[in-house]
Amino acid sequence: MNKPSDDPSKSLRKPVGPVDLDDVTADPDDDLRLVALAQQGDLGCYDVLVTRHRGKIFAMIRNMIHQEADAWDLSQEVFIKAWNALPRFEARARFSTWLYRIAHNVVYDWTRKRKIESAGEFNDEIFEREQIDSGSFTTPSGGESPDETMASGELREKIEAALGKLSAEHREVVVLKDVQGLSYKEIAVVMGCSIGTVMSRLFYARQKLQTMLKHEYEM
Amino acid sequence: MNTKCDETMLALWLEDELQGEEFITAEEFFGKNPEMISAREETRRWRAMMSVAIPASVEPPHSEFFNSRITRTVRESASEAMPVTPRRFSWMTLLFPLAACAGMAFTFILGLKTSNNRLDLAEIDVSGAPKAIPVDPILYTPDDGVKAVWFTSLDASATVIVLDGVNAIPDSMDFSATASKPLPRDIDATAGIEPEEISDL
Repeated sequence: MNKPSDDPSKSLRKPVGPVDLDDVTADPDDDLRLVALAQQGDLGCYDVLVTRHRGKIFAMIRNMIHQEADAWDLSQEVFIKAWNALPRFEARARFSTWLYRIAHNVVYDWTRKRKIESAGEFNDEIFEREQIDSGSFTTPSGGESPDETMASGELREKIEAALGKLSAEHREVVVLKDVQGLSYKEIAVVMGCSIGTVMSRLFYARQKLQTMLKHEYEM
Repeated sequence: MNTKCDETMLALWLEDELQGEEFITAEEFFGKNPEMISAREETRRWRAMMSVAIPASVEPPHSEFFNSRITRTVRESASEAMPVTPRRFSWMTLLFPLAACAGMAFTFILGLKTSNNRLDLAEIDVSGAPKAIPVDPILYTPDDGVKAVWFTSLDASATVIVLDGVNAIPDSMDFSATASKPLPRDIDATAGIEPEEISDL
């Protein structure tokens, strides 16, 4: 019944030690052991992988589309697609990075179908460079501690609102870099572009965010 | 290994992504520039603010159901993907409609046969069945000298009983005297009586 066992030869890393199935901390080495077992058809091990990574995948998708119910469904789709594609996972990247890549494709397929970018979304083409303060830094300079502002949750709402006004590419690069903590190289793998493109997108995305959140930081 | 301090190296240095010899090289090159150090500090502050403001991991609602639904979907898709053996053609399959037609014809003929038997029910011998035996009624008379004779006619749907020996009823007989009268009952007799005083016993 288990599709991942179709081609076990593609499982590059075999489990080299015991895996604690109750330990849901996402240790990359444990991930690879669990992946190897899941590739042999062990659905229980895959369930552990889902438990380990569902939070990050759900958060990433929710930050991308800002709709919790759809984010839940799309997260489901990510893990189901990942299971079906598990025989092709060659452990050249971290399992989490591979999941982010699948999530990226799922979100872009979804937005393409919904044409979410066409109505009411922020258009990067309209957002001219002149609107950005030329003297501004790439990163906003906070006058107060973010922790203090976060106490009321207002900062989070402001940032999420500002993220929602970015284009999908800019929003994703900020979410992956500044929220999820991926490296440039990992983001390039996830988004299917060069590292230079990632750097460029991140630079402009941060500039736009700084402009939109300017009043928040000048208070 | 990239040891050249270009823009890519600068971006990686600003994001603290360099390690080992690359980091040492970049640190020696950019770390002496106050503007670069300030830019790196701003980048660090920005990342810290974002990571605090927006959580990197959020458990999906109904997380247990989240997992179980994935497991169920995977199992269902696996069962759907089970190979189905194609049915081979056989000349015997051509006999199936013929057998069905023969069955229907047999059922039709059997039905006809059953209905014909119903028409012959009148010819069934019912001699063994119990028959109704006419019995003359027994007549009783209250007086010894009276004789009762009973006549019946099915054609006339009439029954006549002749009492022979009964004295003729005189015309002066008052039939109202034979009518039933209600007898005074005890309960009625007590209706108009004044209740007696209850004695203190």
